[in-house]
Amino acid sequence: MTGDAGTRLIRRLALAAAVVALVLAVNTATSAFAQAGLFGGRGPPADTGVIGWIVAKQALFYRALSGLIRAAKTDGSAYWGLIGISFIYGIFHAAGPGHGKAVISSYLLANEETWLRGIALSFASALLQALTAVVLVTIAAVLIGATAKMMGDTVRIIEIVSYALIVLLGVRLFWVKGRSFLHALHDVRAKAELVEQNAPHAVHAHCEHHSHNDHAHHDHAHDEHGHHARAHSHNHDKEESVLPWGHAHGPEPEELAGPGGWRRGLSAIVAVGLRPCSGAIIVLVFALAQGLFWAGVASTFVMGIGTAITVAAIATLAVGAKSLAKRFARSRAGYGALMLRGVEVGAAVLVMAFGVLLLTGTVASERMGVF
Amino acid sequence: MIHRIVFLITGLACLLSAAGRANAHPHVWVTMTEELLYATDGSVTGVRHAWTFDDMFSAFATQGMEQKTQGMFTREELEPLAKVNVESLKEYAYFTYAKVNGKRQRDAFLEPVDYFLEYDPKETVLTLHFTLPFKAPVKAKALDVEIYDPEFFIDFGFAEKDPVRLVSAPAQCTASVQKPHDDNFSAALRLDKSLMTSEANAGMGASFANRISVTCP
Repeated sequence: MTGDAGTRLIRRLALAAAVVALVLAVNTATSAFAQAGLFGGRGPPADTGVIGWIVAKQALFYRALSGLIRAAKTDGSAYWGLIGISFIYGIFHAAGPGHGKAVISSYLLANEETWLRGIALSFASALLQALTAVVLVTIAAVLIGATAKMMGDTVRIIEIVSYALIVLLGVRLFWVKGRSFLHALHDVRAKAELVEQNAPHAVHAHCEHHSHNDHAHHDHAHDEHGHHARAHSHNHDKEESVLPWGHAHGPEPEELAGPGGWRRGLSAIVAVGLRPCSGAIIVLVFALAQGLFWAGVASTFVMGIGTAITVAAIATLAVGAKSLAKRFARSRAGYGALMLRGVEVGAAVLVMAFGVLLLTGTVASERMGVF
Repeated sequence: MIHRIVFLITGLACLLSAAGRANAHPHVWVTMTEELLYATDGSVTGVRHAWTFDDMFSAFATQGMEQKTQGMFTREELEPLAKVNVESLKEYAYFTYAKVNGKRQRDAFLEPVDYFLEYDPKETVLTLHFTLPFKAPVKAKALDVEIYDPEFFIDFGFAEKDPVRLVSAPAQCTASVQKPHDDNFSAALRLDKSLMTSEANAGMGASFANRISVTCP
């Protein structure tokens, strides 16, 4: 018994340490960003730390792309250089905004997804992003000879749609997860009361089989079944106030992880992957101007694969965090499930918040257009 | 228990928001040549910019533009684009910030005048010329003009040769430039260099600004 308590203590300490380390790391990064004026405060960007290094690297690789595309016109071997640099550029580039890391990770936290599915989601959204860039430039520049401004305006429309989809995704997750949370809350309370009352009122099932469609009926029901245990009815009333639709149960996690998950995942893929990357569009148009459109297309897809790797790495962290939370939850019946549902609701709120911030332009995404 | 949930959610929120807001990265490189315009009374009336874009962005910006000769764009052909450029720049305050005697000026400039685009067919790059007149001519001992993109979508850097010129300035005025960028088109290498000395610069948020400082004692 003492050994068990010991492991639990160690596990808790480890978790606390991990969270503290996380917060510290994030704070360091945050102050670097704040200094850089990227949090709304105006100021030039920072050139220090990991962020500076990433910026430096991707700038280097991006600049190298134009030279390689030019060289590919006369020197076939430059193609390999182009592919290689595009790949590395993609990996570094995804560290920046506009590649759905935040949305994908929050989505994975909110849902019951496997590691494999997290990776598939990352790859699908990154490749969709590459595809939309190629499709956009093919139609706009190659086929109808549109100007940069027209392309920029198109991207802006796609962007708004994409951000709105992220908001919707968040709202739906919040709806589903919020209900599960309330359900878990109800269970915990019911259990607590059950213990308190020493259980003769396990007539609890009573709730399940009448449909409180309106309050009149509900009140009436209470009059009628007035004798049905006071504790029970108070619990009931509280639930009624937050769940006006009655006793419709939120879907169980098992249902959510089911085969329908792919369809659910699709909404996340589309919401994130719809907006093409500005860099890819510029590279494609440049390649087109150089008469090497196909080199641009290859570069864009390879960049997408690089991007997917970074996003997948972060998605893996999210899935790991979730399974840690799940293990933690399992060790405590009732409250554990409640905590897990709480984390999911939090993640759903994050998805919504990201969507709103992107939509309102509070969080800078990539800029497109002539400026 | 509840505080632990809050703790966990906060931690994750921090991580994700940091990821969400992670730094921007340049997609456009600009090499600047700047002129400060003086009136006869020794006051500065405006800033004349000449910004040369990198070849990839230049190709993007000229996409779909009408041209009489393949590989060449005339000033007239580029006029509509120049208009779009200066109009869009308004939203970003023209990336130009003025400090008079060390004090930041808000909304210091009028709308741009004398703007046009030039195309260099050899380098296949565009140069945007425009003049930003000061709302009120500046007569001060110390004037700083900073040019940068706070979101770092555009990486500004001074031209290597003669980046700043004072036009009909009083003889005693001197200009100096502070350039975190030695040469615009190797931004990355410069960044690498600055990383090595970054410990010394830590906390000096402005280390990335391109600054023109003029003193007229």
